[in-house]
Amino acid sequence: MSYFSDTAIDYLVVNITDMPNDCQQIKQLLKLANLDLDPNVTCFIVAKSDDKIIACAGIDRNIIKCVAIHPDYQGNQLNLTLIDKTIKYAYEKGYFHLFLYTKPENQPFFKGCGFYPIVEVPNLVVLMENTPVGIKQYCKQLALQRQPGAKIGSIVMNANPFTKGHQYLINYAASQCDWLHLFVVNEDASQFSFDDRLKLVKAGTTSVHNLTIYPSSSYIISKATFPTYFLKEAAKLDQAYMGIDLLIFRNYIAPALHITHRFVGSEPFSDVTRAYNDSMRYWLQDEKASCYPAIELVEIERIKEDEMIISASLVRKYLAQKEYEKVKQLVPPSTWDYLQKALH
Amino acid sequence: MKKPRRSMLFIPGANAAMLSTSFVYKPDSIMFDLEDAVSVKEKDSARLLVAQTLQLPIYKQSGIETVVRINALNTPYGLKDLEAVVRAGVEVVRLPMTNSADDIHELEAHVERIEKECGRPVGSTKLMAAVESALGVVNAVSIATSSPRLMGIALAAFDYLVDMQTERGDGTELFYARCAVLHAARVGKIDAFDVVYGNVNDDEGFIKEATFAKKLGFNGKSLINPRQIDLLHNIYAPTAKELDYAKKVVAAAEEGEKAGLGVISLNGKMIDAPIITRAQSIIELAKYSGVRREN
Amino acid sequence: MKIVQEATAGTLESSDLLVKVQPNQGVEVIVNSDVNKQFGDQIRKVVNDTLKILNVTDGLIIIDDKGALDCAIKARVECAVLRGADDQQLDWSKLL
Repeated sequence: MSYFSDTAIDYLVVNITDMPNDCQQIKQLLKLANLDLDPNVTCFIVAKSDDKIIACAGIDRNIIKCVAIHPDYQGNQLNLTLIDKTIKYAYEKGYFHLFLYTKPENQPFFKGCGFYPIVEVPNLVVLMENTPVGIKQYCKQLALQRQPGAKIGSIVMNANPFTKGHQYLINYAASQCDWLHLFVVNEDASQFSFDDRLKLVKAGTTSVHNLTIYPSSSYIISKATFPTYFLKEAAKLDQAYMGIDLLIFRNYIAPALHITHRFVGSEPFSDVTRAYNDSMRYWLQDEKASCYPAIELVEIERIKEDEMIISASLVRKYLAQKEYEKVKQLVPPSTWDYLQKALH
Repeated sequence: MKKPRRSMLFIPGANAAMLSTSFVYKPDSIMFDLEDAVSVKEKDSARLLVAQTLQLPIYKQSGIETVVRINALNTPYGLKDLEAVVRAGVEVVRLPMTNSADDIHELEAHVERIEKECGRPVGSTKLMAAVESALGVVNAVSIATSSPRLMGIALAAFDYLVDMQTERGDGTELFYARCAVLHAARVGKIDAFDVVYGNVNDDEGFIKEATFAKKLGFNGKSLINPRQIDLLHNIYAPTAKELDYAKKVVAAAEEGEKAGLGVISLNGKMIDAPIITRAQSIIELAKYSGVRREN
Repeated sequence: MKIVQEATAGTLESSDLLVKVQPNQGVEVIVNSDVNKQFGDQIRKVVNDTLKILNVTDGLIIIDDKGALDCAIKARVECAVLRGADDQQLDWSKLL
């Protein structure tokens, strides 16, 4: 029995791995909206009319992705109801704090659904969250950790796992600054769990006294969770990802902690990394990129061991090849202890 | 004559938009549903929404009777619903799944307690029984005569037909239940409401069923789509011919009374008290329904 | 009463509103409305009155309004607060 249902639309939760037919329909719908299916999304909220999917919204943990509405059904109550059902579904799964990436032209619609913009990369992407106070409250918390000094440094690292290279970078940066704020990327897409990575960073930096270590929050964007479905060109995707991540850093995190410098290990020299570093410099320093104060980017040449530049990826490679003696050369004793225990 | 109860429009209790606009359709009664139309997760929010909506002065001003279908009292929601809506001033509480007079007595005791607690005049909350099972249909007379608060009895088809091990068809399957509920209503001198017609896009089928129910003697019907209100009211509207005749009957009766005649006749036919009463009610009904449009 | 956990009530459908509540020190109300310019103050007043009746002392209340009537605003705020509060007792005599 349906009330007032002259045109019946059903809203359903679809797991596309179980429903090949629905999956196909969703792909077609996304194509009409010039979008791809994001590989991290398996769960969709769909609107069906006559058994045909006319609108969909994907949900990847706390990120809403792949929202599309069939052109014939746009501009009515459907879109709001769809987003409403999607938000409710996420709440039921325990995700209250939701994010979404969308094209800047869709911003007004999502504002109407209770989403608020955090940062925007012009013409490419805007990141929104479903609370007007999310990032403000985060910054308020951060500001409690603010330290005095004119030169306040920062590092963001994955430390997968923590190497002598990381240790060198931290020691150097700390020696150059009044205080150093270190963010360890908090996501479990890495080989080593976040808890272990954080523990190893702490164990390897006990001698540094002007240092605060933070688990990164939802506001330090992991490349692993950044959506890939609406930017087809790799260059644009990188630009969008870096823009979002670095603008949040420049506009919110740095002002909260009065950060003036950001330290990075220089990549082995190539055109690709030069472009990457140029881009980083643009988002952090250029006054066209943001009206917030510039953050000076400091590149530190990476240290070597036996002519090899130390990196976490090299450690992972030696681990995979069981070349443990070489691993031992690349990591601090604290990391080596941990790896030995983990190996047994 | 009392205001007719032809149309009772169901409004899902969790739907804010429908709750805040349903009066524009001008049904005789609006039934805010806290039971089947509300999912378990939204029982609390619908209860609050209905309670606050009942505060809208527009319902009092428009003369639309307010009814709330609460959840059965043996669910975790029923009593909470009742606490809210009696205090919120609902005119009628509709009890689903009424199987016996005891169900009404239990409801009545709670209502009376709540009325006393909140300072509402005792007895001002009317009750309505929905019969939805074979047991309820068999007990219809004792249900219909169980309480002076009772204003009506309704047949609800869905669960009843499951209980009867049959399904919705041409109406044969509901014939006994309709007659039983209707007789009970007449014994109890309360109103009788026919079942919902589920297919909102089938006007022809609706008209056919509603015409049949009216012929049997039902006062009205439960509706789930506002589009059905006008169709239904038109079915209950007297024809121009009926109205014309009724006016003549009443005029003749008045003449006869003035002249002090014991026996009154019109066009050579004797008109007695039941015919006059019927004529008066047709004239009264025409005030609400107008004259029937013939298609 | 205090908001001790995140909770929501209502929908984003037209004539309704979505209310989100979360723990906070003190009471803070944020209204996001399609009709904010015209009715923002009225919405805020209904929300504040409702919070006062419920005796809410701590909580962040975020409203996404879609042109709801006052009665719906009241009901949704009450529901979200009760879902997110430490005290679930209802005093109907105050609510209505």
